[in-house]
Amino acid sequence: MKKKFLLLLLAASTYSIASKAQDTVKTTADAPLVLYGSVDTYYKDDFSGHGNIPTSFASDNNSVSIGMIDLGLKKTVGNASFVGEMSFGPRNDQSIPTAGYHIQNLYVNYAFSPKFSATAGYMSTFIGYEVISPTGNFNYSTSYLFTNGPFQNAGLKFTYAFSDKVSLMAGIFNDEWNVYTSQHDVSTFGAQLTITPVKNWTAYLNVATGPSSGTEFDLTTAYQITSAFKLGLNAATYSTTHYSAGFSGVALYPQLAVSKVVTLGLREEYFKSDNGTAASTYAPVGPLPGGSVLASTLTANIKTGPLTLIPEVRLDGINKQQYSSFTNSSGDPTKSASQFVLAVVYGF
Amino acid sequence: MCVLFAKVASAQKDLLAFNEQNKYMYYQVVGQPGVITDTLNDRALYFLEKAYPKNTIKKGETSGNYTGTGKFLVVSGLTMAKHIEGEVNYTYYIECKDQKYRYWLTDFVFTPYKVDRYGNSVPQEGIDIPLESATTKLDKKQVDSYLDQIGTYGKAFGDKLKYYILKPAALPKETKKKVISTKDW
Repeated sequence: MKKKFLLLLLAASTYSIASKAQDTVKTTADAPLVLYGSVDTYYKDDFSGHGNIPTSFASDNNSVSIGMIDLGLKKTVGNASFVGEMSFGPRNDQSIPTAGYHIQNLYVNYAFSPKFSATAGYMSTFIGYEVISPTGNFNYSTSYLFTNGPFQNAGLKFTYAFSDKVSLMAGIFNDEWNVYTSQHDVSTFGAQLTITPVKNWTAYLNVATGPSSGTEFDLTTAYQITSAFKLGLNAATYSTTHYSAGFSGVALYPQLAVSKVVTLGLREEYFKSDNGTAASTYAPVGPLPGGSVLASTLTANIKTGPLTLIPEVRLDGINKQQYSSFTNSSGDPTKSASQFVLAVVYGF
Repeated sequence: MCVLFAKVASAQKDLLAFNEQNKYMYYQVVGQPGVITDTLNDRALYFLEKAYPKNTIKKGETSGNYTGTGKFLVVSGLTMAKHIEGEVNYTYYIECKDQKYRYWLTDFVFTPYKVDRYGNSVPQEGIDIPLESATTKLDKKQVDSYLDQIGTYGKAFGDKLKYYILKPAALPKETKKKVISTKDW
């Protein structure tokens, strides 16, 4: 694995040098080969003494643990571009259901015009507010909506910008989420309507629907109201007849920059698991079917250059004991769980 | 060699000055003996259309004046690990007179970029930082690097303008189609 990694880096360096050499004889404005990514590590302490909160990532309790190393390469020449992003570590493994696979993004894009483009490959999902990369999230722990929604969608999509304020993406994707290859066919339809009602406010109305993957409607929006204050919102509902289950929820993300290095943010999320039926073969991560959870997460981002220190306190409360799988320090069932996380993320 | 490169790179910031409004500007007056206003005016317009096609172009109130806005990316890191830090938006002015022209770039505003879920570098909406007050929101080292890159960009802008002004060949030519008759040989 180490050799493979070194070979990969060597190949990337060679490609970069080759690109540079070509740049000396041509004068086009093509972007250089860009390398980007992140590494993250964390310490978590669940106040019960054992892990309780089941949302994605940061799963190890009372341990200095690692997230992942994320490495992406991208390049644009003329109207064509590619992105290849791979990751290694527990965060990668928890985000991709196929063991041993390490691709987060692998796609090619062609812009037919400044307004119309096509993209094909394996891409981060267009659904939801939060993302897999720790540099893309304000909070280090993740929401129930994120955990239960898609992470990636493989497929072919087209995007058309009607104006600076309105654009539409529509595409066809593999029948199941998060997989490189379809189980049977390419039968999930996905669309995203992007609206910018006023400057610095963007809203995304999303739908992904297919006979196997189910149907999720999602609203993701963020408004940078002042240079210091941002408000985000994510609301979604999911149902599937295939697995006879579903969920719905809403999360609010107010964030306030209190200095040039410190920003404070709250995530207030309500998430409900549908009742399901006797035929249910899937239950959402979180409260047991029929139950709901209110999760409050207070996070600080302390930035120094490319490094972000993220202290975070989180309290999750289930509406009724019978829907809870939390246990207290004695191992007895309880309705609530709380944890502290200290994470460090380096983005480049 | 590295030390030399660092010195050359850091010197680019010194190409910037402040204007009457206490804003950074890259300002140059260039003599062009023997070239009249109209010619300079045509060449400057052709320069703007060809060398910076994405910039906006607005004719000034008097003949021979152009203004508009543009933007460019600022990066960090070496070639192998180049990271797009953000974009700098600016306003430019070009004024032509008999046998001389002047130009300046000013109103530099930095917008940081973030990497989105697809790996694209995209502007962070709503965060626009004038370079004059950037040290209140960014590290001084970062700001110095951006000012260096603005200086480099301003110099490149001026060098290209000079090329278009000096080389009438850069102007569009009427190209005659070469036709060969195969009947007469």
